[in-house]
Order: sequence, then C-alpha cells, then structure tokens
Amino acid sequence: MRDSAAEIRKGVRAAAPSIEGGPRLSNRARERIAGYLFVAPDAIGLLIFVGGPMILSLSLGFFSVSGFGEYAFVGLDNYRRMIADPLFWRSLEVTILYVVALVPSLYVVGLGLALLVQTNSRFNTVMRSLLFMPQTVSLVVVGLVWQVLLVDKIGLFNQFGAALNLQSISWLGDPRFALFTVIGISVWFLMGFYMLIFLGGLQDIPREYYEAARIDGAGPVQSFLKITLPLLQPTSFFVLLVSTVAAVCGSQTFDLIYIMTKGGPANSTSLAIFYIYQQAFLFNEYGYAAAMASVLVVVLMAITVLLFMLTRGGRFTYG
Amino acid sequence: MVENANERRAARASRRAVLAGGVATAAITGFPYISRGFAAQTLKFWQFYGPGGGVATQDKWFVDVAKSWNDSHEVKVELVYVPNNAYMDGTKLPTAFASGSGPDLFIISPGDFLRYYNGGVLLDLTPFMEQAARDDFFPSVIANRMVDGKIYGLPYEVEPMAMYYSVDAFNEIGLTDKDVPKTWDELLSVAKKLTNAKRYGVLFETSPGYYQNFTWYPFLWEAGGDFQTKEGKSAFNSPATVQALKFWQDSINMAVAPRKPLGGGAWDSVPNIGSGYCAMQNVGIWAIAQLREGAPDFKYGVFRLPTPPGGKYLTIGGGWAFVANARGSNPKAAGEFCAWALGSPKDGSSQRIIDWCTKAKSDMPPTKSALEGGKAAFENGFLKVFTDEIYPGARAEPRMPPPVYKAISDAIQSVQLNGQSPEQAAAAASDQIDAFLSGYKGAPIL
Amino acid sequence: MAEIASKAAFSADDADDRRRLQMVRLVLYVVSSALAFMTVAPLFYMLSMSLKQTNEVFGTNLVPHHPTLDNFVYVFTQVDFIRFLWNTFFVSAVVTVIALIFHSMAGYALARLRFPGRDAIFLAMFATFLISQPVIIVPLFILARTLHLLDSYAGLIVPSIFNAFGIFLLRQFYLGIPRELEEAALIDGAGYFRIWRSIILPLSRPILSALAILFFLANWNSFLWPLTIISNQDLWMVQVAIANFHQQYNGSWNYIMAASTVVALPTIVMFVIFQKRIVESIKTSGVK
Repeated sequence: MRDSAAEIRKGVRAAAPSIEGGPRLSNRARERIAGYLFVAPDAIGLLIFVGGPMILSLSLGFFSVSGFGEYAFVGLDNYRRMIADPLFWRSLEVTILYVVALVPSLYVVGLGLALLVQTNSRFNTVMRSLLFMPQTVSLVVVGLVWQVLLVDKIGLFNQFGAALNLQSISWLGDPRFALFTVIGISVWFLMGFYMLIFLGGLQDIPREYYEAARIDGAGPVQSFLKITLPLLQPTSFFVLLVSTVAAVCGSQTFDLIYIMTKGGPANSTSLAIFYIYQQAFLFNEYGYAAAMASVLVVVLMAITVLLFMLTRGGRFTYG
Repeated sequence: MVENANERRAARASRRAVLAGGVATAAITGFPYISRGFAAQTLKFWQFYGPGGGVATQDKWFVDVAKSWNDSHEVKVELVYVPNNAYMDGTKLPTAFASGSGPDLFIISPGDFLRYYNGGVLLDLTPFMEQAARDDFFPSVIANRMVDGKIYGLPYEVEPMAMYYSVDAFNEIGLTDKDVPKTWDELLSVAKKLTNAKRYGVLFETSPGYYQNFTWYPFLWEAGGDFQTKEGKSAFNSPATVQALKFWQDSINMAVAPRKPLGGGAWDSVPNIGSGYCAMQNVGIWAIAQLREGAPDFKYGVFRLPTPPGGKYLTIGGGWAFVANARGSNPKAAGEFCAWALGSPKDGSSQRIIDWCTKAKSDMPPTKSALEGGKAAFENGFLKVFTDEIYPGARAEPRMPPPVYKAISDAIQSVQLNGQSPEQAAAAASDQIDAFLSGYKGAPIL
Repeated sequence: MAEIASKAAFSADDADDRRRLQMVRLVLYVVSSALAFMTVAPLFYMLSMSLKQTNEVFGTNLVPHHPTLDNFVYVFTQVDFIRFLWNTFFVSAVVTVIALIFHSMAGYALARLRFPGRDAIFLAMFATFLISQPVIIVPLFILARTLHLLDSYAGLIVPSIFNAFGIFLLRQFYLGIPRELEEAALIDGAGYFRIWRSIILPLSRPILSALAILFFLANWNSFLWPLTIISNQDLWMVQVAIANFHQQYNGSWNYIMAASTVVALPTIVMFVIFQKRIVESIKTSGVK
C-alpha cells in the first residue's frame, strides 16, 4: 500500500508541466472547457444514438402508426386507450410485483455474496467465478436449463418433491407460481452482476476503519452496521436505482419472460415491457406501444429524480 | 452563463431532433427508392430456408427455384436468409417495413395475412395467374389468402394438425393401433391410463401465442363453433366454444396433460413424445420429419383428431405462402415470380410443390395437380395416413386481427391454466370481439 | 469477513480463539462452497445436453447414456463458427475499450469538474438509461441506414458504445475519491487531461476492471441489434449464429447447447482474469 502512494505522487509530479509566463485562461475557465470536452464524446453519442431515437419513438405516442409508413396524428387517443385497457393495468400490477420482489432480493443477495468473497485468496477467486457464471451464459441457455429443471413431474425439483411425498408443482405453468419462479431465476441469473458492483464498492472502504473498530472492541455485526453499510451508501443507491430501472424496462427482464413464459400462463407474467413489445411487434401498434413506453419513462424519471434529491445528487458525505 | 449553456444545448438538441425527424420521415416515405419510374432489376426474397439455412433439402429447393427463374428471366431474384425465429417472432421484418425498406418478396403465415393486407402491402396476384391455375388450389386452402375473390398469397404447403401416439406406451397398457381414441372422452380416458409417475398421457399447447390458438381452433370447429356470424358479429359466445375450452381444461385438471411442454413448445415432438414425456401429442405433420431426424428409433403412430359427441371431424391446416410487396421496387416482376413459382402448372409449379412436400419436407400439397402428380409419395408411410384420413377435412388457418387473436388467447389461457369457467371466458372474449368488430373496416376474418 | 475474523485471533484466550476462528472460517468455506455449487449446478445441464444425442437431450438424466462430441463437431464444421467468434470478440473488445475511455472521461467531468449545466447534462444522460432497446429499434435502424452503418463492423460497434450505465457507475465512483491528489496536481499546474490520465485512470482500475467484464459480456451476448442491422452472414455475431440452429420446426437444442457452451468460455476467462483487479485496492493510508 505504501508503494502505491509513492507511485501516485510520482504520477502527480510527472503530470505537472513546467509553466512559464502564467496560464492564458483562468482556472475556472479551464475547468469549464475541460468539463465540456470530457463530456462531449458521450454526450454527442448518447444524443445521436439514444436520445434522438428515444424522442422520436416516444413522440409516436401521439400518432397512430400502421407499421408500413402511415402516420396519423391522434393526439391523446393512445393515452385514453391506455387508461381504459385492463391488460395495461394488469401489466403494471405484474411489473410492480416483480420490482418489489426482485430489487430487495438482488440487493441482499448481491451484497451477501460480495461480503462472502471479498478477500483475495485462491479459494475466493474460484468462488467468485462460480457465483458469476450464470451471467456468462446467454438467456437461451438459462431458459432451456431451467425449463428442464422445473418441468412438471419429471423435472429435478419435482422429483425431489416427489421423494418427500409432495405433489408436483408446475413452477412455470401455474399462474400462482410462475411470476415468483421467474423472479427466482432472475436472481440466480443477475446476482453475479450485483456481486461485482458491491465488490467494487466494498473496496472504497478503507481498512483502517475496521481496524479502529476492532480495537474499540466492535464485533463483526457492529462493524457491518456502523461502518460497511453507511460507507456503502453510494453503491447501494446505485444498485437500487439500476436494478429498479432494469427490472422495469431492462432487456434482460424482457428476454427472460420472452424465453420462459411469453407472458403466460394466463397473463400472470405479462410485464409492462412485454406487453409493449407485443403491441409494437406482434400487433403492429407502434403508436400505442410508444405511448405506454412514455408512461414508463416518465414514472422511472420521477423515481430517479426523487432518489437524486434525497441523496443530493448521489453524493454522500462520510461521517 | 448557465442559461447560455443550456440554451445552446437545447438548441443543439432541437436541431438534431428536427434533422433526425426529417431523415426518418424521408426514409419512411420512400426516399431510398430514388424514383418509382425506374423498376429494379433485382428482387430481394426474404425467407428462412436458405442459402445457409439449416435444412439442406429446403435450402436446396429455394436455391433451385431462384436459379431456375434467374436462368430464364431478366429480373433476378436474390434470396436473403433470415434465421427462423428471428423471422417469425423478431423485429427484423416489422423494422424493415416500418422504415420503408421491406423486401420485394417474402413469405407469410395466415396469422400475418390481415396485418399485411390491411397495411396495403400485398400485391394482387390474380392477374398473373390463369383461371385453371387458380382453380387448381383447394378452395379451403386458398380461402384465407383471398379477399373479394382475389388472391394475395400462394401457399406452397399445407400442414395439418393430428394426434401422434407412442407405440411402446400403448403396448405397455395393452392397447394397439385399433384402440386409438375417436372421441374427446375416449382421448381423456386413454390419456388417464397412459399417465404414470414419469409420463403424461397427452400434450396440448399451453404457451400463449398464435400457435396455441392455431391448435385449438379445430376443436372449436369440430364442436360446431366459429368466430364470426354472416352479419359480421361475434359468434364466439356459444356452447361449442364452451365445450372446446372445457376439453382442454379437463385435460389439465385431470392431470393427464402437463402445464408446460419441453423443448420449444408443443410443436416440438422430439423432446416431448420422443423423449417419453408424454404418450400422445397434438402436433402437426412436420413431426414426421422431426422424429425421423431426431429420434429415428422411436416407434409411433398417427391418428386424426378425435371428435366431440355429435361433432364432425375437422382439422386445421397451416402453411406458409409466397407474397409480393405491392410497394416494393418492382411489384410487377415480383407478382410474376410468385405466379411462375407456384401458380403456373405449365411452368412446373406442380412438380415444385411435389418436391417441396415430399423431398424437402413432409407436407400436404395445396393444389389438386400436385396431389395427383405426387401420388406415389403421398401414398407412402405416414404421409398416407395424412392423405387418406387427416387432410380431407382440413380447414385453413384463420387470419385474425390481433385484438381478436388476443381475446381468444386470453380465454384459452384463463380456462386451461387458471381454472376460469368456460362460460365466463367465452362470454368475455365474445364481448371483446364484438367491441373490436364494430369498429373494424378491414378484410373479413375467415 | 475472514479478515475481521482473523484479527479476532489476537485476544487473551489464544487457544480458544484460534479454535473459534477455525470454526468461523470453516463455516464460511462451507457456506461459500454450497452457494457456489448450487449456483453452478444448473449449468451442468448445459454441458450435459451438449454432450447428448438428439433423442436424449431432454431426458432427465444428468449423465448422457451415449456421450458424444458430435454436437461440437457439427457446430464448428457446419457453420463458420470460428469466424463468428472472431467477429464477436473484435466488436466486444473494441466497444469495451472505447466505452471505458469515453465513460471514464465523462464520469470524471460529471463528478469533479464544475461547469454550467453539469447536473442537467447528467440527468439527461441518465434519462437515456430509462428506455429499452426494442422501443427505439426502428428509429435507430433508420438512423443506422442513413449513416451507412448497415452490414458493417462500424454499425455493430458505434451504437453499442453509448450507454449511460457506465457513466453513472464511474461518476459514483469518482465522487468518492478524495480530492487531495487532484488538488496537489492542480497546484503544480497540471492540465485536466493529464490529471485524468495519470491520476484518475490508475485509481479507477478496480471499477474499470468490473466494467470491462460487464461491457465485454453485454456485447458478447448481444442479439437484437446485431440481428437487426446485419444481413451479411460473414458479419454475424455468435448469438445470432446460435439462434440460427433453430429452424422452423426443429429445435436442434443439442447444437444450441454445444455452441452456447463454447460461447460461454471466453467470458468466463475474461472474468477470471479481471476479477482479481476489482478487489485490489490502491487506496492508501495517510491519503484520507
């Protein structure tokens, strides 16, 4: 650790040019220019490749689109239709259920796993790789493998249940269980991702704090509550926000539903993002789909802004 | 200072939005086509068979057809291969059409017909065909691609649904091919006998989608039901609907059918009946080819769909068709190609269809001349069962506007998997269908 | 946690504590191993299915009755799979490198530099995170076509670089870095670009390693965008190629599983290489 500090100081000195004749611009101006230049590539790229298409897509919410080149301006008709559409409301219900169950689970599991494997050792290297492995396979594999494990009667889970004299449950085919099964599989699939994020975040916490706490006689639980959790706030905020957004409109969420249940059985896993896809690509109702997508964006934006205000722009002060 | 930066950004953003909007509009309204007066010399034909497709015989058929046309015509056909599930469920086709660059030639299933027809994309192929050629198609098969007596698509195959059974499973409980169920009740009771700790008696589709609806319709029809009355109102709220819905509900409630199939779905025979997961499976003619390749040692038999008390035998025939893009780069040549390929016996269409249905795939032919001409093959093996017993009585897959499809799909799902009463589900779906039909101005549903 | 447990060894009752320490460590090992095993166990099925023959693929047995390498042979001989692997690797690597550079610059500016409109720009960038790809795919396709990006590596690479997730994460990270280092450099007269390159980048190694894994993985397994803009089979990426094994009425699950096993390997390797860097901390004492 000492060497890296020296390294950094060396780097600092190397970075400092020799200045003669004083700077041409004021420090504030330099900072401002640097700010814009640094942000420029991403800002321009995002604007062209995401922002533009996004605005175009969402503005389709005010049109009726045939999918073959006809655009008819219909004002708020799509939104009125949305309000009267029971399938839309049902899809919102399912989405809320999904988010409320998934986000805390991912948080707890991700953090738990990260804590478990945070120290560097050969054993932990292996453990981390194994825990991350679900992320490395494509969702097609995930879908197929879990289908075989969960299938009625002869799947491994049901065989196990039969040995315990339990009745066979159709984990993915029963409207009572399907959504929770999908949530469980999502946790299995995504936990490596959040474990990784938390591993990074745990590194931000200087070891000295733990040393000091130990000297003061604190046990592991107290260290966790008084040091780890508070200092993990930035990471926690990030994880909660990202997982919520991903759960509502993420590609992986959509892919899992598409591969495993196609919104069934009996619409019990018809998430909002899936219903939007159906309307857009199966029913060719691009305008209607765009209107629904806009609603989702607005809701997520509201949640984001709220969280940002609560945490003063995502900055946290260390105690 | 802050205002200026924001203003600049906002101005930049709005300029970009306008530019992007303009570009998009231009593209959508046909800008890439340069000028309509200049008809293209190459037709792009999007399909999921080849070149580079996974089934060599099907790949070859398409390549041969394109080559044969190209050798004798000025305007060339270029095959563009799109992987199958990307073509069917994906975004590739809708995106291409929505952005104004749809293909000149492509294939569609009956379920898609109305979407493309109502969008004004399908070219009328009738002028390119002789009357004899038009009459050559079985009326029930071509009906779902016709509007007002005009033909908008030419099918190259008919894929009827049937029931398959495992010979070994039957023998286990002392049944032979004479004991195949002929009525719905018989099917359920045989299924019960076949169900044990490791196996289900029968398999119907349970995943929501166009395919599930497709496999359920024949049961509705057998019970005497239908979708639309002659006056154009919903006919869905009927005892026939209730009976058909209940049949599937019973199979689940009696635990003789699983709630979830293996593999890709109930259309996939090798993982289901082929692996012993179920003893009988409701699947189409394509399972012959599937089982031949994937489970060559599996012994099975085929029988036609059982009937309800007082009902008539009927089955459903799916199958894809060639269509021409009326807004493509050279619609006239595209129409000629479709007619030449499939709708012109004097140009070899019959032989082409025979080759497709007997060599590239195992399917039933859509034309009388092909059925006659390929007699030798169609009277062979399992195809014989189809030719003699199953195909006669096949009604074409209906073309559904999506809201009607969804109403029926929801009814099937809630009755089959969620225990809803069939009467309620039928009534609810029928109301939705009526609500839609009252504002519908497109081609009639069949 | 193991560290805290180990420090607990230095108390009065040495023998007792050493035993307690060993117990705790043992429990942790057992728990970790059990969790890791349960996590990986379903993937044994992937391997198993890839080694089975077509008629057995959906059998419930984990060990194939007639194991065969035919599926792997087919995947590499019937299709130009090596080429697809190369395409995917090239695209993923290029996107990852460029994205890390751009996002690190943007994240640093948004976290550290003061300029008017900064927070508004950040929120606007974050807003792009709230939309999912299928919704914007049609205008994006039109845009790509207008820019002549169809059927090209550029079309695969350029749109995939811009994603607000990385910017967001890096900004979070940079918010937490102590200012002293930069302030020292500023006093010495260093330019912001040099500060970024010589101080910030090295400090962000852990987080950049994590992002390298995640970006590479996301691009390696991407399906929808490559499918939409590429028609030329020479430019296919692996997930499109794998989907291609699935014909109209033929699942070919054994080939899909074999191909997927092959495809999973590089990302596992990436992970093993980079994951150690994530938990290396170069935070030093005396700096905070």
